[in-house]
Amino acid sequence: MANIFPRWSNLLPLKIVVCAGTVAGGIALAFSYYATPKTLAVGYQPSQPIPFSHKIHVDQLGLDCRYCHSFVEVSGHSNVPTGNTCWNCHQHVQQDSPKLEPLHISMNPNHPSYDGEPIEWVRIHKLPDYVYFNHSAHVSRGISCQSCHGDVDQMEVVYQAENLSMGWCLECHRSPEDNLRPLEEVFNFAYDAEDWLTENPMEGVDTTEELGLKLKEQFKVTPKESCATCHH
Amino acid sequence: MSKRVFHHPDVPADETTVAWRSPGQLDDSPEFREWLEREFPRGAAEMADGEDAETSRRSFLKLMGASSALAGFGMAACRRPESYIVPYTKAPEWVIPGKATYYASSMPRAAGAVPLVVTNFEGRPTKLAPNKLHPDADGTDAFTQASVLDLYSPSRSRKPMAGGKPASRADLDAMIAELAKDPGAKVGFLFGGDVSPTRTRLRGELAAKFSGAKFYQYEALAGDGGRAYGDGAKPVADFSKAERILSFDCDFGSSDPVGKASEFFAKRKPEGNGYKAKPDAESMNRLYMVESAFSLTGGMADHRLRVAPAELLKLAGQIARELGVPEAAGMPAVADDKQLSWIEPLVADLKAHRGKSLIVAGSRQPAAVHHLVLAMNLVLGNLGKGHPFNVVQTGNAGLGGLQELIADIHSGAVETLVMMTPANPVYDAPADLDFPAALAKLKNSIHLGTRTDVTAHAASWHIPAAHYLEGWSDARTAAGTYTVVQPMILPLYPDCVSELELLLALLSDDGKLINGEGAEGAASPAYDAVRKTFAGIGGEGDKAWKSLLRDGYLAGSAYTPIDARPSVDARKDIPEAVKAMEAAGDSLQVVFAADASVYDGRYIDNAWLQEAPDPISKVTWDNAALIAPKTAKNLGIYDEILKLEPVTKALGFIPVEGKYAAVGPDGEGKNRTAPVIELKVNGKTLQFPVIVSFGQAENTIVIPLGYGQGFNEEDDFGRKPQNESHVGLVGVNRGFNAYPLRTTASQLFAGGASVKLVAGKRYPIALTQEHSAMYGRALAREISTIDSHDHKGGFEKQLHDVAKQGPVDSHAPKNISLYKSEDRNGQPLLSDKLHQWGMSIDLTSCMGCNACLVACQAENNIPVVGKQQVAMGREMHWIRMDRYYAQQKDNNFDADNPALIPQPVGCVQCESAPCETVCPVNATVHTPDGLNAMAYNRCIGTRYCANNCPYKARRFNFFDYNKRNPLIKHNLYRGPLGKKDEGGADHLQKNPNVTVRMRGVMEKCTYCVQRLKDAVIRQKQGQKQEALAAGKPSTEMDVTTSTLRIPVDSVKVACQEACPAEAISFGNLLDKEKSSLGRAKKLERNYDLLNYIGTLPRTSYLARVKNPNPKMPDAKFIGKATINIV
Repeated sequence: MANIFPRWSNLLPLKIVVCAGTVAGGIALAFSYYATPKTLAVGYQPSQPIPFSHKIHVDQLGLDCRYCHSFVEVSGHSNVPTGNTCWNCHQHVQQDSPKLEPLHISMNPNHPSYDGEPIEWVRIHKLPDYVYFNHSAHVSRGISCQSCHGDVDQMEVVYQAENLSMGWCLECHRSPEDNLRPLEEVFNFAYDAEDWLTENPMEGVDTTEELGLKLKEQFKVTPKESCATCHH
Repeated sequence: MSKRVFHHPDVPADETTVAWRSPGQLDDSPEFREWLEREFPRGAAEMADGEDAETSRRSFLKLMGASSALAGFGMAACRRPESYIVPYTKAPEWVIPGKATYYASSMPRAAGAVPLVVTNFEGRPTKLAPNKLHPDADGTDAFTQASVLDLYSPSRSRKPMAGGKPASRADLDAMIAELAKDPGAKVGFLFGGDVSPTRTRLRGELAAKFSGAKFYQYEALAGDGGRAYGDGAKPVADFSKAERILSFDCDFGSSDPVGKASEFFAKRKPEGNGYKAKPDAESMNRLYMVESAFSLTGGMADHRLRVAPAELLKLAGQIARELGVPEAAGMPAVADDKQLSWIEPLVADLKAHRGKSLIVAGSRQPAAVHHLVLAMNLVLGNLGKGHPFNVVQTGNAGLGGLQELIADIHSGAVETLVMMTPANPVYDAPADLDFPAALAKLKNSIHLGTRTDVTAHAASWHIPAAHYLEGWSDARTAAGTYTVVQPMILPLYPDCVSELELLLALLSDDGKLINGEGAEGAASPAYDAVRKTFAGIGGEGDKAWKSLLRDGYLAGSAYTPIDARPSVDARKDIPEAVKAMEAAGDSLQVVFAADASVYDGRYIDNAWLQEAPDPISKVTWDNAALIAPKTAKNLGIYDEILKLEPVTKALGFIPVEGKYAAVGPDGEGKNRTAPVIELKVNGKTLQFPVIVSFGQAENTIVIPLGYGQGFNEEDDFGRKPQNESHVGLVGVNRGFNAYPLRTTASQLFAGGASVKLVAGKRYPIALTQEHSAMYGRALAREISTIDSHDHKGGFEKQLHDVAKQGPVDSHAPKNISLYKSEDRNGQPLLSDKLHQWGMSIDLTSCMGCNACLVACQAENNIPVVGKQQVAMGREMHWIRMDRYYAQQKDNNFDADNPALIPQPVGCVQCESAPCETVCPVNATVHTPDGLNAMAYNRCIGTRYCANNCPYKARRFNFFDYNKRNPLIKHNLYRGPLGKKDEGGADHLQKNPNVTVRMRGVMEKCTYCVQRLKDAVIRQKQGQKQEALAAGKPSTEMDVTTSTLRIPVDSVKVACQEACPAEAISFGNLLDKEKSSLGRAKKLERNYDLLNYIGTLPRTSYLARVKNPNPKMPDAKFIGKATINIV
């Protein structure tokens, strides 16, 4: 009986398995790299209706975070400023800037296309719906804005600096000492732990690591790692 | 290997209590066994029927096809969707995004306004809680809790109608203006039973403006008992002063309030509220109840006598005569020896407590009974200021009734009628009055209502009414405290008008109807009107007004009692009632009862209420006639009720009885049906499904009212699609309408009924009484304050023995779980040193009223699943209100009058939780502060946890109940192609702090973890404020336990907050005896549910204490209802 399959086909199943395995493995690797928050979310920098510059307002003018994000210390949400917060200054300052057109439409009754509708800011930092992150719990216990949002004071256009994945959250919940600051320094973007220590020497605290541990001990910070802390 | 079966300990051989949940369990039917042994019945996890399976398969194929076709375009969508943050333009005062604001308001009701604190998120009212600052605050009941859903109801009336057809607002405005400009108009106003001081004031102005104005009042279930106290007067009880209470059919704890019931519940607890005192039987009150069918208050009674409605008057007469009431002299005597032996010690007990006892009658009882009650309280010295019983004058004097209104319409004295009553007179007025005919005779009729019910269609004009959370008003509580009704939101739909706004439009010169907001953002005219009324009562100026808005009430404004004496009418009413009673004789009698879900029919479109099982009968989504087992046997229908029915069909049409049934017969399941009876009374015949009701008087049929308002499909009962537009999806095809049987003379009771079984007809009913039935020993425990012959000792001894009722209770085995309570380093897993949460539920004051169940639904975004899904055991309520009956085997006083014990069961947060160990993905894990947490996003829906839960406290989302409307037929089975809720606004009610769960996810009670987190975080914020206040650098600040631990008893969970009986204590176990919870846990009557299986639950129960009178003939059978389910 003649051979139906030629000899070269003997290795075919093996080849198929190897190829399929490589492809599947490749896809899995690619997915686990490209489809994670680290790749997808970090650096997200959409353009906003008004090209608001944090660098000008925070770094140059020295506005405190809480001038606009006024409820960050009392609420879970850090609010985006209402139209009248912007208007407080901008009805006097930079009135003619074309960049502020949307604000005029929203706030200035004398503007020809005034409609009183709010400005739609594009959301940058977004956690899934089942995550309940609470800003006030963090900023009133010594975690700075900077720890999660990066150097916003230097950003012309805000982008997402950290990946905000659950693993990233847990890193800090497991060792909060890396990010703890004295409560007075939470909103200070120029904070440097070493400089602070030089100015405010503390007994038994020589390094910035020791400062973190000391603050953790003193504030009695015991971050939870259980699910219900953020998911309910 | 066979399944390992856990052996519960043996029931002691001398146990005399028989306990059951359903007739099926009494008969030990295989179906009940199945409920016990399985998490869900067979078939609950399968498709409903072939049709559904087919739709689903097709949808799946369609979707697959569509998705492969779209796959090419798919990649284009691989970009993060843009979402927006939309801040306010002008920030409203007080609103902090993400934080709730709380305002005082109240819900106006006929029995008296319910003072409330309303939770708002960014302007949306989402949750109601009682205003505990208010002197008359009880808790809230299920109706109040569910009323917030009415605001967002998809079937709410939104547009004006003329003659049942949509009409324009301009035409409506023109009609109102015309009426307002005609001072000679013969206009009648029909109000509800609630008392609003502003409305009372405007009534005077209306009478001055319209020379022909007349005023009436109508509530469908009011009865005529109020006549006994005088025009607009009513009794108010002070339970704090009442040590002995005799109630004639008065469900004062729940549906028929006569005063602050929380005082009654406080005196039920031997240790008082807060468990501060030592247990003292003497401090407890004692409740005697005489009624026809179980009410929730009746279930709490120490002694309960069941009598047919006509007999009740005779009994009241006998008691009154023995107390020396002159009016009762000529009344017929009670002949029954057992009843006499019950009355004698009762009368002695009442006489021994002169001035400290209380006798009340249900509002549906005839005037004769109320005359006797007033006279009895007078004789006993209970009447008057500072005494338990008082009569007060409300503002609702000088109002005619429905009969007067109809007479005036026929005589031409009223030509235009403005109907503002929340009742639905075309539907619920007594049949012999023929209200529709009178309505048709009017020149013009205007109906103001939140629903497009039959009256809205029959009237010449219908105006959509604003919800009470949408308009300014005021009200008085039962005791008369002036209480503000503050709007939380502008009307959701712009045409909705409040009662006061309509009256004010009619009073204005130009008749302009201003609703919601005045011109240029000015307040509604109702605001000015309420302020004006308040200025006359509470003083001028902003200060008093602001404190009214903040506190919600005006201190010291309660009614002052009037000097009440039995009126001369008594001599006429009593003999007449006796005559009627004798006419009824021994005939079959019908009681028309308020329904626990829809009340008189007004809540028929409220999905939470419809799905909440009736607290006694456990019927959801329908009504059914209730009948005592013995009467059912006598009438030859008992076997039919319990009969097996063909439940499965071979080849699609041959009925097969037996084990292949998806769910059994009487065991409720999707094939659960009830036989249908034909009830003939007052010359009319109607059909009703019938179920057995324990503890009901013989010869009595109870029919809950309010159903059958609209249908959209043909059924076996000849009900064609009719009146579909009168109800929404929730209320359509619901139950049977009993109102046509009522006449003026027999509004709430009727004698001379006859019953016939309708052969071959059965009606599907979704009954939950067997759902999630637990095995176990001594699930609910009951003790008595007295030592009768076979009680095991006196009160002290019984208290001491509570925790040792089961044989292994006293020596529960050590926890031999593989899962240790310490981690590898020997640190306790429950490591939180600040908070360890716990709960205690007091069965002594719990009456099983469903308030907690609905409050939990509102707080935790629990979906409604619809009748068919409930029938399959898929209801999602996190709190299951178990209701057990228990009877003593040797009870020779009344063997058919069992004790009723309700027991709310939610997740008990076991420290050694069986669910956690079986979850393959760690979706349910323990938190360091003692919660058994659920991570919904991690759950993959294996349901192993629910299978392993001995308390059956877990609920599974078989479908996407939140997104796909379960009330549309077959909708759930269409998967992603199913219809979503359209046009409704239910999503606005959702609590933003709780995840809305999707299909395939397990859920359960988590002790309102969102509230706990909020409280803990709020406490932490204080640290910073403290540092700022001290002026010290934060690094020198002293952070201690007291800085970070929340204050004692400062956080309340939703069920606890709603409870009118303060039966639920919740708190931090580490507060020990400083907290109410800590004290409750220390009590001897504290026990753990299924203690012997070693789960170490955080929720414990307090045994029910009954306080029987040792001289009563049934005393030795009381206080022994300890529930064993074997």
